Amino acid sequence: MTQTADIVIVGAGAAGLAFAWAAVAPNIKVVVLEAGGHVNQRVAPSLASDWELALQTTFNANPNLRRGVADYPVDDSESVIRPAIFNAVGGSTIRWGAHFPRLRPSDFRKRTLDGVAADWPVSYKDLEPFYDLNDEIMGVSGLAGDPGNPPRATRSCPPLPLCPATRRLAAAYDRLGWHWWPSDAAILSRARGTRGACNNCGPCGVGCPRHARASADIAYLGVAQAQGVELRPGAVVTKLERLGHDITDVHYVDANGPARLSCGEVVMAGNALGNARLLTGIIDNPLFGCGLMLHPTAIVTGLFKQNQQSWRGAFASALVSQEFYESDESRGFIGGLQLQALRGQGPLTTALGGYGLRLPWGQRHKEDFVARFGHSLSLTVTCDDLPEGANRIALHATQTDRHGLPVPRMIYRVGENSQKMLDYGIKRASEALREAGARQIAINPLVRNGGFHLMGTARMGVDDQAGVTDARGRVHGMNNLSVVDASTFVTAAAVNPTPTLQAIALRAGTAMRDGKITQRAIA
Amino acid sequence: MTGRLTALLDTLLPGDGGDWPAAGAHGLAVHAARLADDMLGGAEAMAGVLDALPKGFVDLPQLRREEFLHEIEAQDAARFDAVITAAYNAYYTDPAIRDIIERLTGYPNRPPQPEGYVLDPFDESLLDAVKARGPIWRPVD
Repeated sequence: MTQTADIVIVGAGAAGLAFAWAAVAPNIKVVVLEAGGHVNQRVAPSLASDWELALQTTFNANPNLRRGVADYPVDDSESVIRPAIFNAVGGSTIRWGAHFPRLRPSDFRKRTLDGVAADWPVSYKDLEPFYDLNDEIMGVSGLAGDPGNPPRATRSCPPLPLCPATRRLAAAYDRLGWHWWPSDAAILSRARGTRGACNNCGPCGVGCPRHARASADIAYLGVAQAQGVELRPGAVVTKLERLGHDITDVHYVDANGPARLSCGEVVMAGNALGNARLLTGIIDNPLFGCGLMLHPTAIVTGLFKQNQQSWRGAFASALVSQEFYESDESRGFIGGLQLQALRGQGPLTTALGGYGLRLPWGQRHKEDFVARFGHSLSLTVTCDDLPEGANRIALHATQTDRHGLPVPRMIYRVGENSQKMLDYGIKRASEALREAGARQIAINPLVRNGGFHLMGTARMGVDDQAGVTDARGRVHGMNNLSVVDASTFVTAAAVNPTPTLQAIALRAGTAMRDGKITQRAIA
Repeated sequence: MTGRLTALLDTLLPGDGGDWPAAGAHGLAVHAARLADDMLGGAEAMAGVLDALPKGFVDLPQLRREEFLHEIEAQDAARFDAVITAAYNAYYTDPAIRDIIERLTGYPNRPPQPEGYVLDPFDESLLDAVKARGPIWRPVD
């Protein structure tokens, strides 16, 4: 029997589930296919004392090392940055710090303002209502009034508190006259419904048993299913069947064997790597796969004489400085950067190096451990990467995964502009940490395991010369194929992409629900 | 083999004669070997490093052992790195070691959840200075 759906969404991560929630209606059948399974965060590793071991195994961000049942290999031999993605219901929001910043209006107008890259075919104003809607659904703690960003609606929860180390940093920024603001975080500081309030435990990245930290499954899946969305976990999509300018069927494999869905619309939300495995040969636009942007990131760590107990509190969501966010020609590069505070880590992760170098073995080890553990505060230097043609996602010519799908290749080097930005940001971060009282500075000039934001390989554009998709993710030249994840980004900005990719997904899903569907499944 | 592994661990993570016990003398050899087995390529790395130890390694003084280990590390850093990871994994997840950490640093010897820590309210007065400096974003329309 041929199964049918009006809309088939490939990928149940941040974008896929937001899109599903927005697109479903009583007369629109939406099916989400997800290669991974559910992750029960109520029994997260942070309930056990050896929780840090999970960061090396089941919660390892690198799929090549994690090797879970839903993971496929990624050839990263031609990339200085390794992939950091999670394949499960909820996607990479299972494994994230829930730092939740928005792009600025200028990020959408890079060509007009700075003469590089391209302008987006959507503006901040176009996305603003969807940012607000998404914030409400995900549950965001923060504070309106940030002078670094346009005015925005009151956050649903007050900001997460600073700790001794981040208070030092905030005071340092004030002395330097630099911008700072408490992070918008998709972490509840007050309980809501079945979700508890954050209890400041720290290791958000291994899941949150209180459900205070949002993930796409916690925030969107239940409400989407209540409206009729059907989720099929453990369903690995193996092929899109194309007839002319239409995708007619989606083939997948699950525990019951091979299956096929006849579809009205296909929406890809499997990230740039996953999408490439299915769309190469379907999308013939030469821009597809090119212009990969990754947010090359440096981490600067300050060590303080006094124990700051910096293991307390959400590790990635405290405060940011966007003092150097907008372009300034005098700095010698285009675009800008964000400095994001990262708290200290657990004892094992500290010994293994945390954000920098592993502690030496031998007789110095214990002394170094006591000097560092709880004494550190780090700053990321997150760069507004530019799209460069040589940076791309391609497919391996011969290697395949266990389903016969080609292994994606991640091809990336840090461009000259981004390197200048990193160098500048490292100096500024070091300056801030010294001003905060750090007696020693350690620099990780490039986070090798930092391929968590995969952007630009199916970028939006007004037509097929400017982009792979239109402003709502519809693939130019195809009647019923869309892409709605971060691969549609035109520019990278210098902030985490999740709020923006979810806003884009909500906008596209709403448009499809409200009459943009051109086809329906063939019964 | 356990004796050599114990000596290896004691060299990587020696005691300090005070608070901290040496990893091998603390009885972590079996646990470290098991954790190495759980790592991708960890068992092979552990076996390789143990095989590379010279005869009589267990009877050498600490400094001489360290010299040998530096040589082995230089020959194959990735392999040695896996062994260090297994050793640190065993040491820093051991309950008795966690007691010592609590006593010396204040980090409680319990899981992060469900207890967590107190979530104090955010003090908005901290923002007075940055508010006073005014907007810094570029309007585009």
